[in-house]
Order: sequence, then structure tokens, then C-alpha cells
Amino acid sequence: MSRYALIVAVLVVLVLLLSILSLSAGPAGIGVLQGLSDMLHGRETIAATIIGQIRLPRMILALLVGGTLGLSGAALQGLVRNPLADPGVLGISGCGALGAVLVFYTGVSAVWAPALPLAALSGAGLATLLLLALTRGGTLVLVLAGAALGSMSAALLALTLNLVPSPYASYEIMHWLMGSLSRASLHDVLIALPGLLVGSAFLLGTGRSLDALTLGEDVAHTMGFSLRAVQWRVVIGTALAVGSGVAVAGGIGFVGLVMPHLLRPLVGARPSRLLLPSALGGAALLLAADLFVRLPVSGTELQLGVVTSLIGTPVFFWQVWRLRGRPG
Amino acid sequence: MILQTDTLSLTLQGNRLLHDITFDVRPGEVLGLIGPNGAGKSTLLRVMAGLLRPETGRVLLDGQDLFSMPPEQRGRHLAYLPQDAPSAIGMSVWDVVTLGRLPHRRTVSAEQDAAAVQQALNAVGMSAFADRSSASLSGGERARVLLARALAVEAPVLLVDEPVAALDPAQALTVMELFNRYAAQGQAVAVVLHDLALAARFCTRIAVLSEGALVSIGPPSDVLTDALFADVYGVAVRRCGEVAVPWSLVSRNRAL
Repeated sequence: MSRYALIVAVLVVLVLLLSILSLSAGPAGIGVLQGLSDMLHGRETIAATIIGQIRLPRMILALLVGGTLGLSGAALQGLVRNPLADPGVLGISGCGALGAVLVFYTGVSAVWAPALPLAALSGAGLATLLLLALTRGGTLVLVLAGAALGSMSAALLALTLNLVPSPYASYEIMHWLMGSLSRASLHDVLIALPGLLVGSAFLLGTGRSLDALTLGEDVAHTMGFSLRAVQWRVVIGTALAVGSGVAVAGGIGFVGLVMPHLLRPLVGARPSRLLLPSALGGAALLLAADLFVRLPVSGTELQLGVVTSLIGTPVFFWQVWRLRGRPG
Repeated sequence: MILQTDTLSLTLQGNRLLHDITFDVRPGEVLGLIGPNGAGKSTLLRVMAGLLRPETGRVLLDGQDLFSMPPEQRGRHLAYLPQDAPSAIGMSVWDVVTLGRLPHRRTVSAEQDAAAVQQALNAVGMSAFADRSSASLSGGERARVLLARALAVEAPVLLVDEPVAALDPAQALTVMELFNRYAAQGQAVAVVLHDLALAARFCTRIAVLSEGALVSIGPPSDVLTDALFADVYGVAVRRCGEVAVPWSLVSRNRAL
């Protein structure tokens, strides 16, 4: 078995274990297998309700949102050839959140529930389209444009919070902005699933083009790989995956930054080899972080996005430290 | 496979970069592209590689228009090595050279890919470095690894922009001999050079560019005349055997 296959296998086992733990964790002492079996047989027991309505949606979303965040981080880093790239860093998550908050703030989502995910998708999509339009030049412009988008969405989110009429609404927005899966429902899973899966498919197909890009845009072009084509794939994939994730889980940052960083020493720097492991690692990280926030350590449950940010920022600093003095 | 340019012209932002260039790179030859800084050598090579679309004129690969060829097919027919390419930082030397096999997407076996990579590494004398990280290499070693990447494509046409700029004399000679060996196998090699002594010694033919126009093309002994050095480069030369060495500046009418 090759080293790569071994690492993927270890990560798959880790994700499976954490998924089972995620189903088992909770204040109600119920049997997971019993609950799953009741649910599948349509028996309306308490265990079936807790597993089916609460824990299973939470586990599925942690798995898929974490996976797509890890995957889009790895793809974006390959595209811009910069280990600091991340849906959060490029402002894609922020613009997705802005879209969702605007819909929530104006009350549209109270009237028509699907408006929220659609707005998050549109926000992330518009951000990525704007990034594309601004980056005909090159990758440095892409990173700068991402920073500008991130700042803009942060400012407009702050403005919305500033103008929000009731403390309850601002609490709701804050709670969701910090990122959480504590209120994940089956409805959320159904809303997010198509975007998460289609987005992942787009991103997983970029491996060879990203490999070619490591030699620079010119050489990649002469080898038959168009920069524009791979840019579109990554952008559409990221918009779908990140937009859908933001819609149901709020702002969960740094997963896409952390996983490629941790896995690169193990699987090598070839972007195609980083995609699948980063997805699995992202899933494992978010499942673990979501288990951690459920630990009864304090009176209130910690927010998931806060935990991933606390894990992610030291890695961010470490990356900046390593990049200091490197030209370009 | 023969690469032909047919009345190429290119103007970018009001600057005439290339003007009416017609020539060919034939199988079995190393064609040297020379000329002063800003003469358009790299621009011409980029057009020949399909990176820049000419305003008028065509680039033909065995008679087929380069810009209407499917990208994958073009990628297998033509390998391009720019002067200042990123070197896939962090990847192993083997992995970097393996990237050269990407144009052969699923058309050949893994064994054939590995054999091509090994052969390319041997050719540049870097096979002992296969497992090293490309980040740990010296400038010359990195240049040779990137050259191996281009060789690993096994394309019938090889376009190389100043491959010896970062190399010491021994390595520069090795690389030029390598081009001659590849040409002897029937490949067409076009190489941009600043070192006129190397061009004189190793190129089958030399094409001289000046201000975006092709001013002379032919065997080195026909092309590298004292008059050409004075007209195109603005230098007087001294002869050391076959080789002309730039010796002093000559006064010219046009500004440098």
C-alpha cells in the first residue's frame, strides 16, 4: 500500500470513528444502534427522534461542511499557489454570510425559508465572480481582491448589526455568524446537500490542472491546461460548497487553511494529492470540534466557529511567519 | 515535426513587438534565437508556444495551425521552458519532472511515464536527486530539474528560453550538448540564447532578431559576421578561432 493510500485509509477510519462518536454524544442516554434501527423501521421512539432529528443531521453537516471547507481550501491554495488561501481569507465565506444576513434582516427568510441558503449561495457566488473579474491579471491580484472583499463584507455585516431593530435579531445574527451546528435539522441537510455535493465534485476534478499550475500559468497553458478553465471550476465549486455550508452552519473559518497545512508534510506538496486528504481531514476536524463544543465544560455551549478559529489562527500566524522574506 | 511561422506580426499597446517573421524550426536541428535585449526573442518564443496570439500570420505544426489545435494535442507536440518559471516549491524532484507527463493524460501506461521521467533526469544528470525536495536545490540544479520536466514531455518540438543563464560554464556546455543529442534523435529545438559563443558552437542555424524583425537566418558562420555584430549589437568583435568575442562598442546612429 502506498503512503498516500495509507494516509487516506487512516483518515477514513478517523472520520468514521468521529461520526459514530458524534451520533453517540449528547445529554440523552440513548442507544445509537437502537435509535438508528428504530428510525429506519419507522418506529416513532424517543431514540429514533433524537438520532434522526437532532444527532444525524448534526453529524452529516459537520462531516460535509468540514469536508468541503478542507477541500475548497486545498483547491484555492493550489489555484493561487499560496498557502494562505482559504474561503475565509478570500472573502467568499464573508460574502456568503452577508447574503444570508441581509435576507434574515429584511425578514424575507421568515416568509420563505429557502431564501436564506439561496442568498448565501448568491453572496458566495457573486464574491467569486467578482474575484474572477478582478483577477484577469494574476494570482497576487486575486489574494488582494479577496482581502478587499473580506473587509467589505465584514463592514457591511457590522453595519447590519448596527442597524438591526431588536436585540433578539442581533443575537440571532451573532449566534449564526460565529458558526454553529447546534440547531442543525434534517431540513438544513436537505437544503445544503446538493450544493455541498456538486461543489465537491467540481473541486475534486481540478487535481491535474492544479498540478500543472505549479509550473506557472504559461507552462500549464502549453501543456494543454487553461488557467481560465480551472479558475472557473474552483470558483463555481467553492461558491456552491462554501455558500451551502455558510447557509446552514454560519461562519466557520480556518478549516480550509489548517488541513492542507497539516497534511502537506504527509502527502507532499502536489495539489492533486492534497484534495481528498484535506476533505477527509476537514471532515474529521469539524466533527471533532463539534464534539468538543458539546462537552459540558461550562454553562453555555461554545460556538463551533470560535473553536475552529482558535485552532486556525496559530496556524495562520505560523504560515505568515514561514512566508516572511519570501519574494512575491 | 516541423514548426513554421508565417508572416507573424504582433503589436501590443502601440509597441510593434514582432514584424513579418517567417522562418521554421526543422526536425534534427538546434535553432538559436539571438538578438539584443528587447529584440523580441522571448515574445517570438511565446507566440511559437501558443501563449500569445499573433495579430497577423500563423504558427504551423506540421502544417496544422497551432491556435486551432486541441490543447491536449498541442501539449504533447510542443514543450516550452520559460526563463523564469516557478519551480513547484516543496515538491520532490521526481514529482516536478513527472508534471511533464501531464499532457499524456491516460494515453500511456504508468511504466512509460516513469521511464520518461527517469530518462529526463538521467539526461540532465539529476537522477541522484530524485527524492530531494525541489526547495533544497541550488539555482543551477533547479534549472536542470525544470529542463528535465520539459524533456519528460517527449515532445517533438522543444522551445527553450535562455536555459543557460543560471548555469556555470560546465553545466551550460552539458545542456547545449544535450540539445544537440535531442536534435540528433529527430527533435526540433529552438533556444533563445544570449551567449553568442555557445550559439556559434552548438546551433545548427541561428536566427537574428532586431527590433522585432528577423534580420538574418542561417548557419552560424554565415550569420555571425562582423557587420552583423556592429549593426545589430553595436559592438566590434575579435575572433578567437571560430568564435567572435565582443570586444568594444561601435558608434551607431540609433539609440541603445
